[in-house]
Amino acid sequence: MGAGTMGRMVLLRLALTIPILLGVSVVAFMLMRALPGDFAQAAAGTTSISAEALDTIRRQLGIDRPLWEQYLAWLSGALVGDLGRSFVTKRPVAADLLPRFLVTAQLTAMAGVIAFVLGSATGLASARLRGSADWLVRGLNSLLLAVPNFVVATLIVLLFGLYFPSVGIFNYTPFMQDPLANLTSLLLPALSLGLTVSVTISENTRAAVLEVSSQDYVMVARAKGLPRRAILLHYLVRNALTPVITVAGLQLAALLGGSILIETIFTIPGMGQYLFDSVTTRDYPAIQAIVLVAATVVLLMNVAVDIAYARVDARVSYE
Amino acid sequence: MSDAGPLLQVRDLTAAFGRAGAAAPVVKGISFDVAPGEAVGFVGESGCGKSVTARAILRLAPEGASVTLGGRVAYRGRDLLQLPAREMEQVRGRRIAMVFQDPMASLNPVMTVGQQIDDMLRHHQNLSRRAARRRTVDLLGLVGIRDPASRADDYPHQFSGGMRQRVMIAMAVSCEPDLLIADEPTTALDVTVQAQILRLLLRLRHELGMALMLITHDFGVIAGMVEQVFVMHRGEIVERGAVDAIFRDPQHPYTRALLAAIPRIETARRSS
Repeated sequence: MGAGTMGRMVLLRLALTIPILLGVSVVAFMLMRALPGDFAQAAAGTTSISAEALDTIRRQLGIDRPLWEQYLAWLSGALVGDLGRSFVTKRPVAADLLPRFLVTAQLTAMAGVIAFVLGSATGLASARLRGSADWLVRGLNSLLLAVPNFVVATLIVLLFGLYFPSVGIFNYTPFMQDPLANLTSLLLPALSLGLTVSVTISENTRAAVLEVSSQDYVMVARAKGLPRRAILLHYLVRNALTPVITVAGLQLAALLGGSILIETIFTIPGMGQYLFDSVTTRDYPAIQAIVLVAATVVLLMNVAVDIAYARVDARVSYE
Repeated sequence: MSDAGPLLQVRDLTAAFGRAGAAAPVVKGISFDVAPGEAVGFVGESGCGKSVTARAILRLAPEGASVTLGGRVAYRGRDLLQLPAREMEQVRGRRIAMVFQDPMASLNPVMTVGQQIDDMLRHHQNLSRRAARRRTVDLLGLVGIRDPASRADDYPHQFSGGMRQRVMIAMAVSCEPDLLIADEPTTALDVTVQAQILRLLLRLRHELGMALMLITHDFGVIAGMVEQVFVMHRGEIVERGAVDAIFRDPQHPYTRALLAAIPRIETARRSS
C-alpha cells in the first residue's frame, strides 16, 4: 500500500473516533446517573442531613437541572478542553486525572509487554515443541483463564506479604522520585494484570503458528535449504504475527478494565483507582472524564493495530 | 566431481506414515537411477506415492506428520538419508531443488517475491545484498517475467498462478542445482499456461544442463519432456523404460489404462 492510501486510512479512522466518543460520553453520562444515589447523598454518608441542605448542594453542583441541560453544559466544556471540576476536590478534573492517567499508562504498558512476551513465547513453544511442553502450557493457560486477575493479585499479595515481607507490595513510588523503585513497585501489579491477558495471546499464538506450519510455503522454505532459524523468523513468525497483533491490540481494553481492580488491590494511585473512588463518591465529572480518556486510548490503539496490520501484511489494504 | 555414474541412485526406498509399528507404508521399496542431465518422469494416479518419493529424496515431510524413510538415496555417492540435518540443508535448494504443485500456496505472502529468491541466494552463495538482488532480477527475466526489476518488489498476491509458478521455478534454479524435482508443476494451472510452464522447464533444463525429475498423473505432460518413464502404482514402480517404448508398447495393464486416459486430439484426427 502506498503512503498516501495509508495516510488517508489513518485520517478516516481518526475522524470516525469522534462520533464513537460522543456516543460513549452519552452512555457514560446516562449510566452513572442511573446509579442509585448521587454525590450529595454519598457525601452526606450516614450523617443525617436535612433535605433542604441536600437540595442546596445539588443546586450548587447543577445536578438538579434536566439531564439534557447537564449534558450539553458538560459537552460544551469538553469540546474546548474543559472537563469540569471534581465534586470532591473542587479542582479541575483534568489536573486530577493527568498524573493518575500516566501511572495507569505505565502500569498497562508494563502489563502489556509482560502479556505479549509471555503469551507469544509460551504459544510459540507450545506449538513448536508439542508433547509435554504443549500440555504444560495449555494446562497453565486453562488454570489462569479460570482464575480472575483480582484473585491472582490477591494471591500474590498474600504470598509476598506472608513469606517475603521485605519485597514490600504497597509501596508505590512515583517515577520522578526514584525510577528504579518505581519499576520494581509496579512489577507485581503488572504481572497480576498481564498474566490473564497473556493466556489469550498464548492460545492465539499457538493456533496461528500451527496454522502457518502446515502451509506449503513453509515446506518450500525447507526445500530451499534455509536454516531453521530463518524459516522460523521469516516464514513462521512473520505470518503468525498478523492474527496475534489483532488479538493483542484488543486486549488493551481488558488491561484498562483490569487495572481498576489491580490498582485498588495494590493501592496504586492510578486512573483505575480514581475511577473506583469516583464511582463510590458519585463524582460525575471525574467519572465522565475517565471514561472519555479510556475510550480514546482504546480507539487510538485500534487505529494503531490497523496500521501495524498493514505494515506486517502487504495483502491488507484499506480502501 | 565426476560425471561418471548416476547423479542420483535410489535403492529400496520405503516411506511409511504414522508411528513405528503401526506405520502405513506408502512407498514400498522402489529403486531407480537418474543420470546427470537426464530427464525422468514419474507417472501415476493420486496417492500412488510419487510425491512422497519426491519429498523423501529431500527428506521433507508435511509438518506434524511422522514419516519413516528406509533404503538408500545416494546423491553423488552420499546417502542423503544418513546426512546430518546441517549438511542436508546444503543439499536442499543448492544441489537438488524442487518446484511444488500449488503455486498459489508455495510463496510466503508477507515477503516480496524478490526477497524470497534473495534469501536463498544469500544463504547458499554468500552473495551480498546487491549481488543477490541483481541475480534475482536476472532470474525473473530468465523465466519470462516482464519488467523483472520492478516486479521483484511485488508481493505474491500481485501475481497470477502461472506467474507465481515462474517465480517458483526461478527460485528453484537460482543456485543452478544438479537436479530439479518438479512435483505436478502444472496441475494447478490453466491448460494454456501449462504448456508455457513445461516449455520453460524444458528450456531451462537444456540451458542449465540439469537433471529433471518430472512427477505427474498425466501421461500427456511426459511426452516430449523426458527420456525415461517410471510408472508408479500403489507405492511400487510397475513399469519402467524409455518414453517412446512405453508409449508405443506398454506392458503393464495399469500403464495401458493410464495411456488410454489421455484425451488425445491426434487420435480423433487420425480416425477421421
